[in-house]
Amino acid sequence: MNDEMERLRGDRKMKASEILRHSWPYIKQEKWAIILSLFLIAVGVALGIVLPLFTSRFVDLLKNHIDSTPLRMVIGIVAGYAGLGVAEQVVLYFQSMILTKAGERIVYRMRTEVFTHIENMSQNQFNGMPVGSLVTRVANYTAAVSNLFTSVLVHLISDFLTAVSVLVIMMVISIKLSAFLLIFALVAGVVSFIFGRIVGKIFREERRNISDLNAFLSENLSGMKITQIFNQEKRKEAEFNVKNENIRRTHYKVVVAFALYRPFISLLYFGAIAVTFGVGLKLALGAAEIVAFYLYLSRFFNPIQNIADQLNHIQRAITAAERLYSLMEVEPEVVDKPDAIEIDHFEGSIEFKNVWFAYEGENWILKDVSFKIEPKQTVAFVGATGAGKTTILSLICRNYEIQKGQILIDGIDISNIKINSLRKAIGQMLQDVFLFSGTIKTNITLHDESFSDEEVKEACDYVNASHFIDQLPNGLQEEVIERGENFSAGQRQLLSFARTILHKPQILILDEATANIDTETELLIQDSLERIKNIGTMLVVAHRLSTIQHADNIIVLQNGQILEQGNHQELLRKRGQYYKLYELQYADQEES
Amino acid sequence: MLFGKYINKYYLKYLAFFLIGIAALVAVDYVQTYIPKFLGQIIDEDNQLIANMDELWKIIGGILICAAIMFAGRIIWRLTIFRASGGISAGLRHQMFTKAEQLPTGYYHENKVGNIMNWFTNDVDEIHEFFGWGTIMMVDALFLSVIVIISMIRLDPWMTLIAAVPILLIIVWGALVEKFMALRWENRQAEFDKLYDFAQENFTGIRVIKAFVKQNQEIHAFAKIARKNKDVNVGFARLSVIFDVIIELILIFEVAFVLGFGGWFVYAAATSTPITIFGHEINLTIGQLIQFVGYIDLIVWPMIALGQVVTMRSRAKGSLRRISAFLDTPVVVQSPKDAIVLKDVKGEIRFSDFSFTYPSSKISSLDNVSLTIKPGETIGIVGKIGSGKTTLVNSLLRLYNVEEGTIFVDGVDIMKCDIASLRDQIAYAPQDNFLFSDKIENNIAFSSDQVDNDKVIESAKFADVHDIPERIRNRFRRTRRNALRWSKTENLDRESLLQERPDSHFG
Repeated sequence: MNDEMERLRGDRKMKASEILRHSWPYIKQEKWAIILSLFLIAVGVALGIVLPLFTSRFVDLLKNHIDSTPLRMVIGIVAGYAGLGVAEQVVLYFQSMILTKAGERIVYRMRTEVFTHIENMSQNQFNGMPVGSLVTRVANYTAAVSNLFTSVLVHLISDFLTAVSVLVIMMVISIKLSAFLLIFALVAGVVSFIFGRIVGKIFREERRNISDLNAFLSENLSGMKITQIFNQEKRKEAEFNVKNENIRRTHYKVVVAFALYRPFISLLYFGAIAVTFGVGLKLALGAAEIVAFYLYLSRFFNPIQNIADQLNHIQRAITAAERLYSLMEVEPEVVDKPDAIEIDHFEGSIEFKNVWFAYEGENWILKDVSFKIEPKQTVAFVGATGAGKTTILSLICRNYEIQKGQILIDGIDISNIKINSLRKAIGQMLQDVFLFSGTIKTNITLHDESFSDEEVKEACDYVNASHFIDQLPNGLQEEVIERGENFSAGQRQLLSFARTILHKPQILILDEATANIDTETELLIQDSLERIKNIGTMLVVAHRLSTIQHADNIIVLQNGQILEQGNHQELLRKRGQYYKLYELQYADQEES
Repeated sequence: MLFGKYINKYYLKYLAFFLIGIAALVAVDYVQTYIPKFLGQIIDEDNQLIANMDELWKIIGGILICAAIMFAGRIIWRLTIFRASGGISAGLRHQMFTKAEQLPTGYYHENKVGNIMNWFTNDVDEIHEFFGWGTIMMVDALFLSVIVIISMIRLDPWMTLIAAVPILLIIVWGALVEKFMALRWENRQAEFDKLYDFAQENFTGIRVIKAFVKQNQEIHAFAKIARKNKDVNVGFARLSVIFDVIIELILIFEVAFVLGFGGWFVYAAATSTPITIFGHEINLTIGQLIQFVGYIDLIVWPMIALGQVVTMRSRAKGSLRRISAFLDTPVVVQSPKDAIVLKDVKGEIRFSDFSFTYPSSKISSLDNVSLTIKPGETIGIVGKIGSGKTTLVNSLLRLYNVEEGTIFVDGVDIMKCDIASLRDQIAYAPQDNFLFSDKIENNIAFSSDQVDNDKVIESAKFADVHDIPERIRNRFRRTRRNALRWSKTENLDRESLLQERPDSHFG
């Protein structure tokens, strides 16, 4: 979990008080569960601490007072021992369950809150955050933080209570012998603490090496074809060997660390037993007292070892908390203004007024861009990679905030419109179609139950997707595997069209949506696009000029500025940049 | 123990480690049984020992010697047995990787990378665990129980019998619980995986969710899964706490049982006449009784672990079966004996009556294709999806086996060629851009062992990617990735240059 690879931009160190402030709302909701379980812990510790006294008394009776004791008293002590043991276990059961339930409730709340928070982050905030790291925060770190309060800290208290009360009881029996044993326990505690620190580091190294090898494997198994084609098997094997050996070596480091630590603690423990026997008899303690000490010793050594262990857990939980809460502190960049308005229906006119935009600093991607699009027009954007075409489309969806100028839809500045109602009106069809695992239907409706099968079918017919859906054994219920890999690029694109049409947008955006598709499917798509055009205003980015010839207006961009605009014929007549691009592609087509 | 074609050799390789480790374990087990004996002696003879210091020193010396032997023994078995198990898993992984490098492209189409990864990680870990902790638990359970039971019988056979009943209960209960809990654990893990996958898919497709304003539906769906996780976890925790509590209860009753009967026997022996069962007179002292309880303490945990070993072994067995199946996969694409090594190919390529059907398919992809490409020619291959363009290229690269006498490079049948030498002569720019997570220069100079900076820059210029600014290096757009792939090819100075529609992303 402390893996450096899991780190995100914005992660920062937090003070304990800050972590507590963030955690407080969750703890507060469970305060009664925590208080009750602390009380039960105290009861459990008390019961556990009394048990050895029964054994000790049993020995005492049978050894020294056998003549004055009736047999039923001996049996009575044994029965008392059993009864107490049962009581201890019952208390333990309730205490564990109360805490577990409270902990799981906290995890549940944290998970839903983090998830909601992530859903509301702005598009560009996702760019710097690998999906894997976000998922770890939702799935694992929430559990680690909850664990801190419902397991680690509670156990720390319980271990501390046990160690102290055992020490007190031992001191009551014999303060001198206890003093001797305390030395052993202190050494065990210090050694455990140091060991925890060292082994924590080795564990981190081991985890890093493991994820390193896993990343290497998953990449190289996926890219094995490339390795084989380029004849690089030997080199890849050598790279693998280094990583494989790293794992073996760090794993052995862990083994060595434990091979020194565990036997050393047991050495201390047996040393303490030898001292109990020798010093105990020397101090004229009887057999009963020595038995008591013998039994208390293990109840003393265990919590001391555990405390050191828990301290290590705390360190890890704090890292998890820091990362979780750092993420929670990320404020969405694009938010509704307080007086933003809800709009049901757009006519579809779009206007850019002197828009300036940069992703960061003064690195302008768009420089003073102005244009106007009338409702139901089809407008195409043309230009080299990086000219700003896709940026313009994202700005209309308000994925980012512009720095200067105004973007108006139906004459209203989009920053005054609620983001959700704006996006509902815009249908986006992008080059990389993302399909979710599920069925074709759920991918088109996106789990919105209000759409009927008929509506879905209609949408599929409209975009020519029914051709292939009807041929599938399960039709609309056909399963879609992760990322839709059981469908071709063209089929995926048609599904995304159906998805868009079903949601009845008034503005349509097509970003290189036909780039990946073979000629035959493209004809189907062109045909459906012809029909989609009538739905509303359409904005198109395409590299192939043939696909945009019929646009009402073509805007040619270069380095974030509008170079020229007009329809196909007008632009050709101008003999400007568009003409050059057209010539280039036309020549290409002639050759092939 | 676990045997199999791919595992047996490791027994031999690590025989010394296993033997020394097991010897150390047995020594520790044996020495352990002395501690209860000393305790019993102290209880029975406390008064005499105070008077006779020599005897006391003997006991203390005995404990210290035992402690020293245990200290050394525990170090030794950890260092040897875990050394061996670590070596076995590293060895298996290496075997598997070299196998993976031999397997043809077709194998990776039929098997998901995720599955193969599982064999490399989870399955190797299972075997690692079994050879490490599994060995230790087995040896412990076996030797410790034999040593302890002999010692107990020596103390008193009837008491041993009385103590044995609950211990048997513990073994049975432990095995049942372990089996049952393993199932529940899988169930719990499956729910967690659902949560994990849901979040992962959602975050990957966040653009779509935001574009269609479906955040609220997604949040509700997620909350449902999270709630299910909560419930399953609580259920699992309840079961495991109940099982643990029951084990503890059996243990408490075991001790109470022994103390109760033993107390009666000790009482009777000390006050009136000793209890006699079938003519056997039970003469037990209180010290011996406590010694007996000490033995029970020693033996209980190895017995509980016995159940764990059974499950561990069956899991490891399953893992070994999967790994063996992977290692047994026949390598269908390989160079023939006495293969012809191609060198300085001119670039004449001839397909003669070439037909091809993919191994997993029934429909043939290419039928009786004949064509000749002369050195230096540039050839474009056109056709719709599924018409066999890529198949033609894959066959030339010998990614699959083809019929002998159908494809010739410089007049040599490629089925008779050394595969590495054939691929060395071909520069390939595939459609799917695959970049290794490494420096750009290493990706460009992928096929050369040494990175020649000038050559890399030259190639990069050729493919028009040399000016990628530093800040977007890690955020290539698709077009750039393809350009990079191009320069990867260019760096090769190859004779025949295959382009598999790499420009389709340029549009």
